[in-house]
Amino acid sequence: MTSSPAPAKRSKAPPIPHQTILAKVFHWVNIISLLLMITSGLQIYNANPVFGGRGGWQFPTPFLLGGWLAGGRHWHFAAMWFFALNLLWYGLYILISRRWQRRFASASDLKALQTGRNPKRKAYAWHRLLYTAVIPILLLAVLTGLGMYKPAQFHWIVDLFGSWQALRVVHFISVPTVLLFSLVHSLMALRVGGLRLINSIFW
Amino acid sequence: MESPSISDRLLSRRRLLQLSGLSGLGLVLGGCGTSLYSDQVNSVFEPLNQSVEELLLNPQKLIPNLPLSAIEPEALLINSFQGTPKIDPQSYLLSVNGDVERSFTLNLAELQSMPSTSMVIRHVCVEGWAAVVQWGGVPLRDLIALAKPKPGAKYVYFKSADGYYESWDLVSSMHPQTLMVYQKNGQPLSPENGAPLRLASPIKLGYKQSKWVTEITLTKQLYPMTGYWEDKGYEWFAGL
Repeated sequence: MTSSPAPAKRSKAPPIPHQTILAKVFHWVNIISLLLMITSGLQIYNANPVFGGRGGWQFPTPFLLGGWLAGGRHWHFAAMWFFALNLLWYGLYILISRRWQRRFASASDLKALQTGRNPKRKAYAWHRLLYTAVIPILLLAVLTGLGMYKPAQFHWIVDLFGSWQALRVVHFISVPTVLLFSLVHSLMALRVGGLRLINSIFW
Repeated sequence: MESPSISDRLLSRRRLLQLSGLSGLGLVLGGCGTSLYSDQVNSVFEPLNQSVEELLLNPQKLIPNLPLSAIEPEALLINSFQGTPKIDPQSYLLSVNGDVERSFTLNLAELQSMPSTSMVIRHVCVEGWAAVVQWGGVPLRDLIALAKPKPGAKYVYFKSADGYYESWDLVSSMHPQTLMVYQKNGQPLSPENGAPLRLASPIKLGYKQSKWVTEITLTKQLYPMTGYWEDKGYEWFAGL
């Protein structure tokens, strides 16, 4: 890196990133519904903190939605439909359209990370890997949420995680994970494709 | 006569849109720090959520019992809305009435002489905590069967000695694991846990499981007052 010559001037401008309208819709609905899920979820958290129980540290009011436990639950169990169904139709869409093979982390990305020399290609591979990896995390949030919402009908979900507390912890961990992801994902997108790439997924 | 031009109208379309945008913004900002439309959101989505819960509920399906070793005696927190009422078990009577063929009352000895059921289940509180508890008592459906519900009876109201009140759908009330219990974790039920008699079930949230029940009333309809916490804004069905 230190002694490598300055990169040659590009002969042509990079292609304008293209996102399908469906990808943009998914991205918007995902952001908004996650924001509602997290703020209402923290409101529910405060009724009996996962860490510390009654008397445990609580999240401050500006991060909460719903005003009190019942209000937080109302928002949480409304926004869950948008969050979960958005994931569902998008999952079907990427399967049917085969975007799964083209637009998500693939073997060539892993190869670029292991043996590649091009730092831009490597950054791109990290970017793809990151937004691919968040999908199972979002699905895990749905699964653990369902287990806590209907622990009698879906008792096998509680059993899967061993205990009620473990289920609560895993469900809660999705909050810091998603927030950290959002930050790193934004920075990676900026690095890989600049504002042009960021704009392309929104507008 | 000339028709009025656009500018003569009291409100032009553009002006109306501007105003509605501004007042909409005011509504959004005005909601900050309050419950932020949670009541409106609830009135739209709770009917949907309730129908999903009713669909998920299999009236005959037993929720698997947890092992006795899973019982968490310390985890069951005490909640009540105004302390523990003083009840003399000797003079205690449970009354079953309403839209039934045969109203009756039972004292504690009569209740305890009925065939009893024991279960080890997870008690889940709306606050987020849960506790594995062993409960022992009489299946509510046996009491309802004794009273013979009239055709059209669809709801069950529970009145408690402390003034707490609840209502359930009949289907959940007839679930084989919905019990009127007088025993907890192998011991007689303690007063703060609802003695002499309380509701216990794996298929409803904790606030549905009234303590200190003195009266069970079957009804054909749901009245405006559906339950102490429900009337304050919590969900009525609250199925697990």
